Amino acid sequence: MTGPVLEIENLSLSIGRHAILKDVDLTVRAGEVVGLVGESGSGKSMTALTVMGLLPHAARTAGSVRFIGEDLLSATEDRLCDLRGDDIGMVFQEPMTALNPVKTIGEQVAEGIRWHTGANRPEAESRARAILARVGLPEEKFPLSRYPHELSGGQRQRVVIAIACALHPKLLIADEPTTALDVVLQAQILDLLRELVAENDMGLILISHDLGVVADMADRIAILRRGEVQEAGETASVLREQKHPYTRALAEASTHVPAWANAATPPGDEHRLLELENVARHYPGHRKGLFGRGEPVRAVDGVGFSVRAGHSVALVGQSGCGKSTLARMILALDRPTSGKIVFDGMETSALGERALRPARREMQVVFQDPYGSFDPRQKIETSVAEPLHLMDERMGRREKRERVTEALVEVGMTPADRDKYPHEFSGGQRQRLAIARAIITRPKLVVADEPVSALDVSIRAQILDLFAKLNDDLGLAFLFITHDLTVARAITHDVLVMDHGKIVETGKTSTVLDHPQTDVTRRLIAAAPDLQRAITRRLTAG
Amino acid sequence: MLSYALRRIAVVLITLLAASAIVFAVLEIVPGDPARLMLGMNAGEDAIAALREQMGLNQPLLIRYFSWLGGLLSGDFGRSYTYSVPVIDLVRERLVVSLPLALMALFLSTAIAIPVGIFSASRRGTASDAGVMAATQLGIAIPNFWFALLLVYVFAVTLRLVPAGGFPGWQAGFWPALASLLLPAIALALPQAAILSRVTRSALLDVMGEDYIRTARAKGLPANIVLWRHALRNALIPVLTILGLQFSFLLAGTIIIENVFYLPGLGRLVFQAITQRDLIVVESVVVLLVATVIIVNFLVDLAYAWADPRLRRR
Amino acid sequence: MEEELIALEHEDWRHFTRKAFTNRSFLAGALITAVVVAVALFSFAWTPYDVTKLVIADRLQSPNAAHWFGTDHFGRDILSMIMVGSRNSIAVALIAVGIGIAVGVPLGCWAAAKRGLADEVLMRASDIVFAFPALLSAVMITAIFGPGIVNAIIAIGIFNIPVFARVARGGALALWPREFVLAARASGKRAGLITVQHILPNIANLLLVQGTIQFSLGILAEAGLSYVGLGTQPPAPSWGRMLFEAQTMMTIAPHMAIVPGLAIIVTVLGLNLLGDGLRDVLDPRLRRQR
Repeated sequence: MTGPVLEIENLSLSIGRHAILKDVDLTVRAGEVVGLVGESGSGKSMTALTVMGLLPHAARTAGSVRFIGEDLLSATEDRLCDLRGDDIGMVFQEPMTALNPVKTIGEQVAEGIRWHTGANRPEAESRARAILARVGLPEEKFPLSRYPHELSGGQRQRVVIAIACALHPKLLIADEPTTALDVVLQAQILDLLRELVAENDMGLILISHDLGVVADMADRIAILRRGEVQEAGETASVLREQKHPYTRALAEASTHVPAWANAATPPGDEHRLLELENVARHYPGHRKGLFGRGEPVRAVDGVGFSVRAGHSVALVGQSGCGKSTLARMILALDRPTSGKIVFDGMETSALGERALRPARREMQVVFQDPYGSFDPRQKIETSVAEPLHLMDERMGRREKRERVTEALVEVGMTPADRDKYPHEFSGGQRQRLAIARAIITRPKLVVADEPVSALDVSIRAQILDLFAKLNDDLGLAFLFITHDLTVARAITHDVLVMDHGKIVETGKTSTVLDHPQTDVTRRLIAAAPDLQRAITRRLTAG
Repeated sequence: MLSYALRRIAVVLITLLAASAIVFAVLEIVPGDPARLMLGMNAGEDAIAALREQMGLNQPLLIRYFSWLGGLLSGDFGRSYTYSVPVIDLVRERLVVSLPLALMALFLSTAIAIPVGIFSASRRGTASDAGVMAATQLGIAIPNFWFALLLVYVFAVTLRLVPAGGFPGWQAGFWPALASLLLPAIALALPQAAILSRVTRSALLDVMGEDYIRTARAKGLPANIVLWRHALRNALIPVLTILGLQFSFLLAGTIIIENVFYLPGLGRLVFQAITQRDLIVVESVVVLLVATVIIVNFLVDLAYAWADPRLRRR
Repeated sequence: MEEELIALEHEDWRHFTRKAFTNRSFLAGALITAVVVAVALFSFAWTPYDVTKLVIADRLQSPNAAHWFGTDHFGRDILSMIMVGSRNSIAVALIAVGIGIAVGVPLGCWAAAKRGLADEVLMRASDIVFAFPALLSAVMITAIFGPGIVNAIIAIGIFNIPVFARVARGGALALWPREFVLAARASGKRAGLITVQHILPNIANLLLVQGTIQFSLGILAEAGLSYVGLGTQPPAPSWGRMLFEAQTMMTIAPHMAIVPGLAIIVTVLGLNLLGDGLRDVLDPRLRRQR
């Protein structure tokens, strides 16, 4: 038993009049992974910034934060600079913006090494080379002279980890390190973190909103809500016993399966509502030389499938596999380079905007980002009524208002919400409003692009329920674009697995997910965080 | 990087061509016959016709444009209608006043603005930041020619430290010549410095809010080191844009400022040429200045690519 | 998903006024601008003295009780001339901004909606216009087509066009990939309708802020042109013209130069403060969108 690396006791934090943290206790020992779980606004990132001493100026703290016995709250800025990057490292959520775009990855990794050890440039560079190789960026493929924009999101996150771990810190704080990555990359990054913890005997605070990820990684967890620790302890016992009601609610929400009457037998008359034949979308390659261009990028490369009326279908794949491009073509927001898309008997890929109107009426969309989905300057009524523009007969104000009211009630909102503006709603409510807009024309198909991935788990469960209800009540067909297999499992009949622009596997959702036939699918399934599986594994291991 | 530069050069050439065509076209539609102007009111019709022929004014428009353009490229700007000397000679003797003036002003404004911007950004929210920002706000609002009048009144008329105007010529010695350009350069530079320092400050503050600054802080670098090593180079990109634009402002500014200080520069040349309807001189000077602006902006573009590696591959 | 989209929050009127009344830049700028405009309007009804009447006996008086800002070399009251001159400055700058908005904004929105060749052509064309130093070209235009207020307006206005075109284009380009615009497209709305319903309302703030900046630049440009004798023509008083006439009187009557200069500075300062304040009060986040 080693002594604690980090001890947080009765930590309280306020910014202005807002209390952010209240009496938070947390201990991290060497070689231990502590999971800090909470929904947005729970104060988990602020806890991390407190330890780093990188809080905004207006923040006031009370209590104590001790790093190997040394009080950090009263430490001078000079002392904190000595600790940061040397004894305490940190990894952030957004790999795309976490690196300086005008410096090479070599400079950025070596910089901390030189600063703390006083090593000369060649020395620091050789150490940078070693740590980059360790995080999976060997010099043969990723020379130090690479710039961040030449790397993918997952690779950039590896660079950030290399920066944080270059000097073998005793404590690493990872704030949602994989939230911006797809499941396969997430699994790889988590594996890397786990290995680094074991190799260096460092303590790791893993901050996440995803109970599945934390359950898999953490030895102990603390569940945070509105700045207070609700429950803390050994991961396995906390998650098995679920003594605290909030823990139970979180666990239930993350494994939530909606009550769905049509789950086994899809409604509808089985005719093919949407058919794709050999659809491809190529983008021009990077410029090379004065006039030349490289090979075109085949974002979607010969895709064919169909969606039957009333069926709910998932299109799953890693980010960059072409699923969002495909969704845009289905929605006729982009045109295929070749191939044919037929919706409800109309070849939408060949129609002009005017001729598309009947098709658009029957096909609506829900986006991932509930914040960007609404024009901030329009009232909800105007935004939700927007698809009524597609109706052939012109609608009076009254009739429009009635239709909006009807749609709002259907998604669990109230008629009074018509006259509000988008900023008056929470993320979950906005997603309901987006669904209301999508169903107002009574379409036959709704395409939903990652509709729940930006939402907290409890909200996400409610939105999944709503989708199930709409399929039950209206017989609506869905196409869910997602990288999240739990969404596919919860709410779809069939699944399409996409990889590098091609559909590699199709079939009934349960069949494909339980008996995958291709490596791509197997990899997706293995990578997906699964709370139940993680708990079982912890119990059998312990 | 090379192909980026080549493509930019192609764009520069097209822009130059288009700009020269515009200047040519504008002056083409101006009323008044240059031949008649050159020979004066009392000239006979025959003499005018002969001169028109000699000047090539009877040729088709396109031919005249290309021969004019060809002349420009070979340094033959034509002959002044009023002075009857090659335009290039007129321009050359004026350029030795205007160019040093514009460069001095550019240097002064940059040398003042960038440190001030950095200072202000690093002391964000303090009284000194507020004071500097108030001063720059005032600086932007001051018309440079009024500021020039004020400088003349204070330093030349009242204190008699420098000459109130005129230019002794470089042959009078380096320092006297430089001294006579000092006030005009300051008058041009200070309002520009006010703008530039505000841009520098806000660009730095924008960059200081970026995620990668937090990453650098998490490495253990103190805030001021982060500012120098990480923020400055990123903030340089908007600053460079403004610098490019400023050069154009300064060139235009010299035209007016030269009038305040009675400096025999390009600005004075243009004004005299305009009043005497010596259009070929106007044409040449405008094209020269426009070409300078385009080329400076091209250099700024190359500097972008140096500052931002993401641009090199486009 | 990779970039965190920043919520563009709607500012309702109450919210706007509350922020406006606590923003010092905005308050000071709005106050100064209002006073300048009020003075210009008031000058139509009344000025202390008649600016067209020359009273040689009263010439070159320093500021005193009868002539608050003194008199010029023709004995005209400088305060009255400043008041009347403000009309020209404001009118020229305002109409020039109007030209810029009326032509530039539709062009910019069009380029952003069409992308491709249209966009490329517009950007290159604006590069060409930007290559002409604005004041130099204004000098050229007014010199060739004759000095005068109308040509000054046109000369300044032309250079406002690419400025507004670029601002509108930049704002619109940031909005087109946004999900609410995609939703409008999925609702069958054409580019024109989307521009009117979604794009313009969301870039209005940007245009307003740019408008105040161009307004203040217009005031400076008009003063510069009039100073070199190419703007407002005598006998109509104008701030720039007053400075030109003051130049030769500098040693005996410095107030002739100081007063019009201060008028220009106060006006431009007011507009710049107003622009800065508006930028903070209205949505500051729109600027940071990619």
